[in-house]
Amino acid sequence: MVSAGLLDATVQGLITGAVIAGGALGLSLIYDIAEVPNFAHGDMITVGAYLALVFNNPAAIPFLPAFGSVPFALAAVLGVALAGGLGAAYELAIFRKFRHRDADLITMVIVSLGLALVLRNAVLFLVGSKNIQYRTQSVVTTDFDFLLTRGGVTVVTTQRRAGELVTTGEWGYPWWLVVAGLLAAVGVGYAIFALYREEEDFTTVYLVPPRILGAAGSVATVLLVGAFVRLGPQGTDYVLGTRIGLNVKHITILAVVVAAMFVLNVLLKTTDLGRAMRATADNTDLAEVRGVDADRVQLVVWVVAAMLAALAGILTGWFATNLTPNMGFALLLPIFAAVILGGISSPYGAVAGAMIIGLSMDVGVYLIPGSSTYRVAIAFVILIGVLLVRPDGIWGDV
Amino acid sequence: MAVADFVITLLTFVAIYSLFGLGLNLKFGFTGLIDFGHVAYFMIGAYVTVVLTMPAGPAGYGGIGGFALPALFGALGPLGSFLGWVLGVAGGMAAAALVSLAVGIPTLRLREDYLAITALGIATILTTVVNDEEWLFNGPFGINTVHAPLRDVFPVGLGDFTLNMAVFGVLSLAAFGLLGYWIARVFRRRGRRGRAVLGVLVPLVAVWYFVLPTLSGGTVELTRNALWLFDPTAGPEGGMDYDRFVLLLSLAALAGGYWLVERTINSPYGRVLRAIREDEDVPRALGKETFRYKIQALMLGSALAGAAGALWAINIGFIAPDQFAATITFYAFTAVIVGGTANNRGVILGTAFFWGVRNGTRFIDVPSQYSIQLAAARLMLIGVVLMLVLYYRPEGLLGEQEYEIPLPSRDGSGGTDDV
Repeated sequence: MVSAGLLDATVQGLITGAVIAGGALGLSLIYDIAEVPNFAHGDMITVGAYLALVFNNPAAIPFLPAFGSVPFALAAVLGVALAGGLGAAYELAIFRKFRHRDADLITMVIVSLGLALVLRNAVLFLVGSKNIQYRTQSVVTTDFDFLLTRGGVTVVTTQRRAGELVTTGEWGYPWWLVVAGLLAAVGVGYAIFALYREEEDFTTVYLVPPRILGAAGSVATVLLVGAFVRLGPQGTDYVLGTRIGLNVKHITILAVVVAAMFVLNVLLKTTDLGRAMRATADNTDLAEVRGVDADRVQLVVWVVAAMLAALAGILTGWFATNLTPNMGFALLLPIFAAVILGGISSPYGAVAGAMIIGLSMDVGVYLIPGSSTYRVAIAFVILIGVLLVRPDGIWGDV
Repeated sequence: MAVADFVITLLTFVAIYSLFGLGLNLKFGFTGLIDFGHVAYFMIGAYVTVVLTMPAGPAGYGGIGGFALPALFGALGPLGSFLGWVLGVAGGMAAAALVSLAVGIPTLRLREDYLAITALGIATILTTVVNDEEWLFNGPFGINTVHAPLRDVFPVGLGDFTLNMAVFGVLSLAAFGLLGYWIARVFRRRGRRGRAVLGVLVPLVAVWYFVLPTLSGGTVELTRNALWLFDPTAGPEGGMDYDRFVLLLSLAALAGGYWLVERTINSPYGRVLRAIREDEDVPRALGKETFRYKIQALMLGSALAGAAGALWAINIGFIAPDQFAATITFYAFTAVIVGGTANNRGVILGTAFFWGVRNGTRFIDVPSQYSIQLAAARLMLIGVVLMLVLYYRPEGLLGEQEYEIPLPSRDGSGGTDDV
């Protein structure tokens, strides 16, 4: 019997990081372009999660007629769209007015606190404080046992079906294949990096920075080789063994967040609107002189951020299996930590910061016994440590 | 329950949270430090005071202490025991100030928004530590053996029902007289709009306090409300009960805190604090160690929050980590901003407004299954009011106060710091 170890904590940390990243993407966008440290973002996450609930499980909401239920994925899309409308509403009704008054940063912080109070209590008012769940199919977790034996690596997958532990697969990779696979990964990664890199000058804008593309290529190679080149088991008499529990939720969350990051990146870097957004972030006055409609840019920013917040909320509610009116506010601190850590100026930075925070939370809890209630505390100790050395965050104030 | 009892509970709340808000106003209003972790010092003050003053090893408590300071000085009689409690409060305030020193040294160097977020994070961590480490302060079970100073002296009476009623009655009426005099003075100083507001509000409150209870409960209710210091049900002869004492104690502490903050900000020292808020480079260019000033303002504000925590503990009689959620800080920010940032009277007004809305709505009759909805609705109302005040009256209801030593303003006429 193999137990979960550091590798499992790392994988869990990546998933936690992905959930945080979903919120951090939107928050960094607002922080950078609208220049509002938006304390209402956490509660927008809550609102988004409940908006999807309206379609997915209306019976759980007291004042709604139970008009049936739409599939979870469709409900998520509808919820995200509605959240975008809500984002537009509060930008037009609140933040635009304060911006036209040249409100300072502190005022914006307090305004967002007021909005946070309204949003959270609107959820409490309409739904109440009980725990409710989405109506989704139950998900079966597959445990991957990795055994390092004399001959190579053996993988055994097990699932719990109707209370019984069932072995669903057993295969292995001999050492030569492991080494070859890793070499191939490094080779592919470096090849992508070298081919894709251009002569840089200050106008160079990569859609995906070559270093990240190269690393992604390496990871993809390892996964592809691992998935398709499965040889016979290399024995079960292992020297080192570790277990990773994975299910469809984990994969979906990672995939959705990576996709959201990519779409946001495409929006920012290849469209005219994205150029206007980046210009506004750099210098609003200069952008307006060049004909950028700042109000329109801000509206888009708040809508996109609200949609990203809703996405994060839906993923969180699905991952944690229940929704509470406090779920978003509880996420707010790690999200802020991620955004400050990653630098507030790029979606990649926000995701990288979120991954660092998520990993430090889960790996920290694994390495320090009895610290499971200090997950957020660990993230914050890391943030404060970084801020002590670099008071403006890792990448500084851009 | 007589209206007087409700008002006493409400006023005790307002006094304690005003003291808490004064500490926040010193940090945020006068020095410009956004401390989103203010509630942590409230919690530290409450816990340290309680642990210092409660008897050693009470049943069901597995944490550090208690150190029984009042029992130690109890040999000197009731006043000695009270002195022991005051020393406990001093210990709580010192602990709050020291923790804020430790928090301030790394975080005060950050830019203002990062300061706000890290302060919030540290406060959350401190609450988590108190909640999870049972060896420290009994963890989530809290402490229910809170030492109540002078508890066994009350109800205070002079031995005879009529005498009690006469003495406390005269004192109560004197308090009303003082209040009336003060309202009249404010009324005379205000402009037309202030007079209109007072002219509507004061009669309304008077009708609610005196006339409505008389209509429903007769002269007994009227007497109970008018002679508010006297509780006829406290003991066989009646007298002043403990709740009224806690109110007086809180008001005294608020008065002390108010005086302290007023003296601080009206001194040349306070002028430096305000200069730091306006533009930190200017006092620095004049050779002021601004960092030290900021740390000191932080510590003083935290000590005031600690004192408020000590009063909170005796008012509630039971403390647990979940009473000190981050939302308490946000409520205090709302109170300070609504009443008037950088205005100590505004803090009290804003706190009264906030807790009046929160606790006063209990008179609205709703079926009990809608109690969550009512609580949520009033917080939504408070959020909306906060945003409306920020937009239409960013300086708050009262605006920034006037100083004895104003910053030099552009037209040289003195007055407030507003330019």
